[in-house]
Amino acid sequence: MSPAIRARDLVKDYDDVRALDGLDLTVESGEFFGLLGPNGAGKTTFINVLVGLVHSTGGDVSVFGHDVEREYQQARDAIGLAPQEFNVDRFFPIKEVLEHKAGYHGIPHDEASRRAEEALKTVGIYEKRDTRFDWLSGGMKRRFVLARALVSNPDLLILDEPTAGVDVELRRDLWDLITDLNDDGTTILLTTHYIEEAERLCDRVAIMDEGRKVEVASPDELMNRGTDRVTIGFRNPPTSAPSLDIPDVRDSELTDGRLVVTAARGTAIIPDVLRELESQGYEVSDLDIKRASLEEVFVDMTRKESAIEV
Amino acid sequence: MSRDTGDSLPGNGANAHGPDSDADRGFLDRLFPTGFRTLFRREVLRFVRRPRNTFLPPAITNVLYFSVFGVILGGRIDQIAGFSYIVFILPGLIVLGAISNSFENASFSIFHGRWNEYIHEILTSPLPYTSMVLAYILSSALRGVLVGIIIGIVGLGFTSVSVAQPVYLVAFMLVICLLFAGFGVIGGLWARDFDYLTVMNQFIVRPLTFFGGVFYSLDILPPLYRTLSLLNPMVYMVNGVRYGFLGYSDVDPNASLVVLSGLTLAVVLVDIALFKRGYGLVD
Repeated sequence: MSPAIRARDLVKDYDDVRALDGLDLTVESGEFFGLLGPNGAGKTTFINVLVGLVHSTGGDVSVFGHDVEREYQQARDAIGLAPQEFNVDRFFPIKEVLEHKAGYHGIPHDEASRRAEEALKTVGIYEKRDTRFDWLSGGMKRRFVLARALVSNPDLLILDEPTAGVDVELRRDLWDLITDLNDDGTTILLTTHYIEEAERLCDRVAIMDEGRKVEVASPDELMNRGTDRVTIGFRNPPTSAPSLDIPDVRDSELTDGRLVVTAARGTAIIPDVLRELESQGYEVSDLDIKRASLEEVFVDMTRKESAIEV
Repeated sequence: MSRDTGDSLPGNGANAHGPDSDADRGFLDRLFPTGFRTLFRREVLRFVRRPRNTFLPPAITNVLYFSVFGVILGGRIDQIAGFSYIVFILPGLIVLGAISNSFENASFSIFHGRWNEYIHEILTSPLPYTSMVLAYILSSALRGVLVGIIIGIVGLGFTSVSVAQPVYLVAFMLVICLLFAGFGVIGGLWARDFDYLTVMNQFIVRPLTFFGGVFYSLDILPPLYRTLSLLNPMVYMVNGVRYGFLGYSDVDPNASLVVLSGLTLAVVLVDIALFKRGYGLVD
């Protein structure tokens, strides 16, 4: 089966601004894939190229093997998009909006009506079916755009900041829902500023910056590349930081009588550190490991911590 | 996932399935696929459910036109080509209402969708661009025809109305409504603000129509102005519909119909090309 998304050397220029700068990215069918990046990294531009709202300047991109420009019908039929902005038809009650969206995908009216009801029940706003979008609360609006993305039963579900501005309960509900969809075979492409969301949900994440892919890996792999902190307590605290001649150790310092060691893979160096301290006559009383978070790795890779909204 | 948006689509991924396969679809379904019908229906419902905004204003406006120009002033004006003034202006008022509403419907619907970005619901769907354009044009032309019928009914309250050439009347009404719906699509794509819509309707469509022989015959104009008037496409539309009602026209109705039909086809093709290019729609 073709990958869900394959982008090669994708370029998008807006006048003198390059939003996508030779992006290469492959998302396999069935994956739960995260796109992380600071504001202006090109995430939404990339999504808009996929769904046809932005024409690329160069390169190729396909969805399930269908070029998004030459075979736009097939590509768009496979995609359900829940955008960050609320771009919903205000003229009709929300159930009819869903019926229309399903109809645009070629689903006959009766079936579209059934699917619209099902989608509204799935996201928990069925009782609001005769209400127009403007009269929904913020959380309900967020649920609705997800229902609209689901009504065509897409193979690729694209979620652009789906939990931005929603409360904790709704966020958990949405996480459960999209996890179930992924378990049922739907490919998910998620952009988010909530690093915890990516850590918790994604099989792999791509970190983007300035229109390019900086890295692609699983959250665990990325965190392994970060700097862990190992804090060691002593029964006989040293007066200065003991020297540690261990290759993976990046730094060590003494703070309040405790030795703080930073290393690429904290768990791997512990035996060597303990052996070294024991050989120097120190008696370890306790030990604490704090793994690098995906957020720290993300910040390290993009080096734009101020741009992150967590 | 279904595959009846306009062209037959193969399955895409793991979840691909469809409730209506090609074999199940009748001729009409193939001619007017579900995706097209859905957008057409959406567009028609939009104006049918708001009669106070769409049908009532032209009805009231034309009650005023018929009262003032037809009855109060028209009673003091001599017959034109053997017709009372109110009968003479009725076809022109129908044209004015029909084309204004065709134009306004398409331009407003597209621009409002762009302004609030809900046109993305359509643009991100697998509808062929041709289906998108035809749905907008046909629904807008339908509104124009309905408004024309309403004005005709209003006219019946002031004078008797007969149809001398029904085939020409239907043909001209359809062509001019389609043509202005097509222009409306261009206007909706071109507009950058709501002011643009007002400018197009009030400063372009309406003056051309008023100088297009709605309220007078070209025969009463001096030769220079008569010649200049022939450059105004509205002259051919007003006179075409007038020929349908009265059997009288200042210009050759057959030539007018051919030229207007060709122009309509050209405008529709331009609309489709603009949608394909994403003019005003995509970055």
